[in-house]
Amino acid sequence: MVYLRSLLFLIAGFATGLNAKSSTGDSVLVIVEPKQQDNYSLFLNGLKKQGYDLTFRAPKAEAPVVIEYDDPTFAHVILLASENKVFAKDITPQSLVELLGKKTNLIIALSPKQTPLSSLAAEFSLTLPPPGTPLISYFPKREGPPSVIPVSVPATHSILSENLHPVWFSGVPHSLGNNPLLVPILRAPAESFAAETDGGSPDALVDAAERGGEGLWAGSQLGLVTGFQTLDGSRVTWVGGAAIFSDEYATKEVSKGVPSGNLQFARDVAKWTFQESNVLRIDRTTHNLVNSTKSLEQYTTNDQIVYSAYISKYDSKTSTWAPYSGIKDLQLEFTMLDPHIRTALLPVPGVPGKYSAAFRAPDRHGVFKFLINYKRKGLTSLQSSTTVAVVPPRHDGYPRFLSAAWPYYTGAISTSVAFFLFSAMWLAGDSHEKRAKGHKAE
Amino acid sequence: MAPKSSPPAASNVVHSLWKAYSDQTSDRMKFIDAFLVFLMLSGVAQFLYCVLVTDYPFNAFLAGFSSNVGQFVLTASLRSQVNPENKNEFKEVSPERAFADFALGSIVLHFFVYNFLG
Amino acid sequence: MPTAYPLPTNLSPATVANTASLIRIVALALISGAAIASRLFAVINFESIIHEFDPWFNYRATRVLASKGFYEFWNWFDPTAWYPLGRVVGGTLYPGLMATSGVIYNLLHAINLPVDIRNICVLLAPGFSALTAWATYMFTKEMKDASAGLLAAAFIGIVPGYISRSVAGSYDNEAIAIFLLMITFYCWIKALKQGSALFGTVAAVFYFYMVAAWGGYAFITNMIPLHALVLILMGRFSSRLYVAYSSWYAIGTLASMQVPFVGFQPVKTSEHMAALGVFGLLQIVAFAQLVRSHVSSHQFQKLLATGVISIGILGAMAFVLLTYKGWIAPWTGRFYSLWDTGYAKKYIPIIASVSEHQPTAWPSFFMDLQFLVFLFPAGVILCFRELRDEHLFVIIYAVVASYFAGVMVRLMLTLTPVVCVASAVALSTLLDTFVDPTEPEVVDDTRSESGASTISAPGTNGAAPSPTTPATTSKKAKKAAAAAAEHPTTLSDILASSSTKTAKPKGIYGLDTRIMVVLNTICMLAFFVSHCTWVTSSAYSSPSVVLASSNPDGSQHIIDDFREAYYWLRQNTPEDAVVMSWWDYGYQIAGMADRPTLVDNNTWNNTHIATVGKAMSSSEEVAYPILRKHDVSYILVIFGGLIGYSGDDINKFLWMVRIAQGVWPDEVQEPSFFTPQGEYKVDDNASPAMRNSLMYKMSYYRFVDLFGGAQAMDRVRQQQVPKVGPTLDYLDEAFTSENWIVRIYEVKKEDSLGRDLKSANAFAQGKKRKRSKPTTRRRAIL
Repeated sequence: MVYLRSLLFLIAGFATGLNAKSSTGDSVLVIVEPKQQDNYSLFLNGLKKQGYDLTFRAPKAEAPVVIEYDDPTFAHVILLASENKVFAKDITPQSLVELLGKKTNLIIALSPKQTPLSSLAAEFSLTLPPPGTPLISYFPKREGPPSVIPVSVPATHSILSENLHPVWFSGVPHSLGNNPLLVPILRAPAESFAAETDGGSPDALVDAAERGGEGLWAGSQLGLVTGFQTLDGSRVTWVGGAAIFSDEYATKEVSKGVPSGNLQFARDVAKWTFQESNVLRIDRTTHNLVNSTKSLEQYTTNDQIVYSAYISKYDSKTSTWAPYSGIKDLQLEFTMLDPHIRTALLPVPGVPGKYSAAFRAPDRHGVFKFLINYKRKGLTSLQSSTTVAVVPPRHDGYPRFLSAAWPYYTGAISTSVAFFLFSAMWLAGDSHEKRAKGHKAE
Repeated sequence: MAPKSSPPAASNVVHSLWKAYSDQTSDRMKFIDAFLVFLMLSGVAQFLYCVLVTDYPFNAFLAGFSSNVGQFVLTASLRSQVNPENKNEFKEVSPERAFADFALGSIVLHFFVYNFLG
Repeated sequence: MPTAYPLPTNLSPATVANTASLIRIVALALISGAAIASRLFAVINFESIIHEFDPWFNYRATRVLASKGFYEFWNWFDPTAWYPLGRVVGGTLYPGLMATSGVIYNLLHAINLPVDIRNICVLLAPGFSALTAWATYMFTKEMKDASAGLLAAAFIGIVPGYISRSVAGSYDNEAIAIFLLMITFYCWIKALKQGSALFGTVAAVFYFYMVAAWGGYAFITNMIPLHALVLILMGRFSSRLYVAYSSWYAIGTLASMQVPFVGFQPVKTSEHMAALGVFGLLQIVAFAQLVRSHVSSHQFQKLLATGVISIGILGAMAFVLLTYKGWIAPWTGRFYSLWDTGYAKKYIPIIASVSEHQPTAWPSFFMDLQFLVFLFPAGVILCFRELRDEHLFVIIYAVVASYFAGVMVRLMLTLTPVVCVASAVALSTLLDTFVDPTEPEVVDDTRSESGASTISAPGTNGAAPSPTTPATTSKKAKKAAAAAAEHPTTLSDILASSSTKTAKPKGIYGLDTRIMVVLNTICMLAFFVSHCTWVTSSAYSSPSVVLASSNPDGSQHIIDDFREAYYWLRQNTPEDAVVMSWWDYGYQIAGMADRPTLVDNNTWNNTHIATVGKAMSSSEEVAYPILRKHDVSYILVIFGGLIGYSGDDINKFLWMVRIAQGVWPDEVQEPSFFTPQGEYKVDDNASPAMRNSLMYKMSYYRFVDLFGGAQAMDRVRQQQVPKVGPTLDYLDEAFTSENWIVRIYEVKKEDSLGRDLKSANAFAQGKKRKRSKPTTRRRAIL
């Protein structure tokens, strides 16, 4: 009874999120063994209800292909076939990276088995433990195998909903590398560790631990669900075990009367990966002199320049882009090889979505760029580069008739005047002399 | 004979020089010399201003100073060309032509001065 | 008086004068025609195209001037040159050449002759060479007479030393600068001779034009003061010298500061201080002369002399002090390297690397001047015989120019005019002696009959009769002798004056010697003409943008790789794509491909060039951040190994290394590019630094594939390239021209996953990533 009620509650819960759609497309390919497809029905039906167009495909099936003639066929791909060692010809690690380059978003599930996807994870600077070593934890005390672990979610997280209930997890952890593009979503609980349970070799684990240092494959430094945002803007989420999306875990209770947060967690992860949440874009940028609105190609040194950027955020509920003034730390660089000016682009009160900065162009002439390079974990990176030339003043743009130069002006003018007077008097004297000479000669 | 550089002898020599000058030079030459002195004073004044106060609009200083120097030089050339003692030197330059050259040179000079001044 | 051959006696002096003028005009016209025609080889063999490198920039600037007008040109800021520093073109070039072309362009368009600006630029140099011939004629006429003038005009019209920089298509500053040089010198000599301020002013105006046209104006700035100084030291100070020099200096210096590129240099740098010093000295000496004329006291004169000398010494010391304190800039590198020839190699490799700045080899003197080389000293010695003020000028010019021409190949150009003048004087004197029909008298009749020369038949290539009128009476001869004693103009007059002293007859008897010498001279002149024509057509008429070779069957094979590549860039890359190449090709890329470049032939910023050098000589990983920082999209290299073109970048590579080493001695070291034995190799023995350098990789990328398994041979270095060619991770090959001379590479964008491109490429090819140590946050407690 309680079970049914919580189920209804759950279903009603995400019914409010109806018609929340992605900003980059609605077609989703789900690669899953047909036999296991029903295990994920809650999650997948939820996606369908939101308006996504799901297509199912077995991992070894030939059609539909993910990429055809360098063109991706789907906007998003979910790889739930985490145990398959063999995939169809068009699903290779290289083709998945190519898909990311073509702005397709991925959710990839891993498993303790060694699959081609494990080698792909290394490209994202995620290190997996040796095969056959899933995550286990003996705390909190519970029935069920130690490899099924309830993981608590931080109360506030930029990607996940607030106050999410703990999430059931079973699968393989990974160690995060140095890549700044990684976005940690779910970390392992402090008491958990990777151990060989089925088929794994203890020597391999010890070897890996020795190479990496003690305590590597244990504790909250391990990641369970990690996002990655590529430089092209596409997002991929690495999930340590596909079971986190399963119906079984969605309906399993964490403790007495507390349902698990798996369904909401799955929805949030899909929301982030499929470019519904935390998606920003720069609509346009303008630059002009302080008192005008025309954008010039050339500015003069020491000009007062105003630069404005209009940024909007995608609202998945209404599927529109709305101006967004919530970025507090946006920065503008005015760069020629190195930034000459670095200033804050502050939101303009009263105009939603507009960020503006005014500064004086440097005294140096050259070809400069207005550069916005805003990268935060989880948010779309904002990049904008506008090239503009800064020229020295024109030959008649310099101040004229300087007061310090008056002695020189008077000197030059007096010389000219004196010259004219002199020539006039000379010629007058000349004619006078000539007349005198002429008289004398007579 | 008198020592080379004893002050009374020097002042005597300067005095005799001045006497010789005022006796031997014609009025027209003196007129030119007055103009030359004016130009020299103006130039010295500008130079002192530049050295003591500021040389900020250096181009203006150069223009003003060159105007003085150039005019001085042209006038001195006119003087030497018009001087009847130098007739043998300047066979092809009659005094009239000397003045015409002087006027033309001065106009060209002033043209460049005003271009450089502002 | 006896004559070797009969002369017509019924000609009036007026007829003779008129005929002489007509023949002179016709001769000058023919000389101009020859001068223009001999410069047109390149246009006829290839096409009307701007040659070499520097002229492309001048052409681009002229296009801006023609299309946008003078004020836009004056304020033009070029954002595509020296990206991203830009270039303030208006203030960093000598605008005389462009302004001249602009004026001609507007003039022709005003009279409805729509000549394309390119044709004006290409043909400007030949046109001005005709004017140079005329200016040299006028100059030499002041030295000797019109017949020497015509000879000098003919020489400078076709001599290869001048042609090399003024063929049709060589649109460079020297095209008009040599004309301005000669005419400024002519006006100076005229001013000095007459003591006229008018000619001094005219000389100053032409000097201003020269300053606006060429950086070599410093030559005039120092030659004229040197001449004045020598005259003063020789005791030849006169009011004429004062008038001429002062009017020239005052107006000329003020005018020269109007050119923005020159700015305040005439009062602040050492190169101009000589002129200022001589000016001051002249004022002091003139004043002293003036005072002396009023004072007779001997002691006062001595006092004055010591005063003058001490002021002079004080002035010199003031100059030294100001230079030491830095208010007067010392000699800049370019001019300093003329005195200390080893300086540039050590400290300024850019100056040392230019091929035109190398010392002159002996054969180039002969190639550029042929028989003028040995006539030239004879002419200078003849100047010693007369030693008027103007002859001193020629002597000084000759000595100074000979020194400079020996130091730098490029300065052969300034030697050429004085060589032409002096040789013309010598040859004209020779011809005067042997064409003059007057035979010497017997010993007792020396005084009366000598003196007059007559019309001589036109015997040489373009020489004209001497302009003196025939004297028929002995009275006139005596007057002429008296006049000639003051201003000797013909050799017979010289003979007359000298014979009155020594009382010995000197002259040439008979017709046979005359004919022999004159015929010999004509033959030598004919050889000279054929030599000049041959040198011009074979050596100096190559556009160097288009190369020519011959097919096995003898027909001409045009190699147009440069233009092919530049036009590929123009048509296939975005308009703001930045191209990196070595600075030699910057102007050509800007002119033909119309793309922003990092460095070009202006070479004003050594650090920027060193950055390019460092990128070219470092490995891909080190070079890539430099490329991204400068927004470089394409890299262009010249590779001559396939076809045997020896002016390619691998041969220039060591200069890139040296210049980069000058700025980053820790990161780039020249010895690391040589083998342990000290050889410069590109085969299997090449050093690792060489093999990993970007330049090597770009040059030899896929070169081995051309040979299909056989040994790949680099025809320029004559070495065998290793069988396994280089691989490129950070660049993509974009274009290679037909004969592999120009190769263009595109710089890859950063990897979308943030990896370094080498690992990204390895992954894309399916290689397994090396398992690297995972990061650990726990540190061992020691």
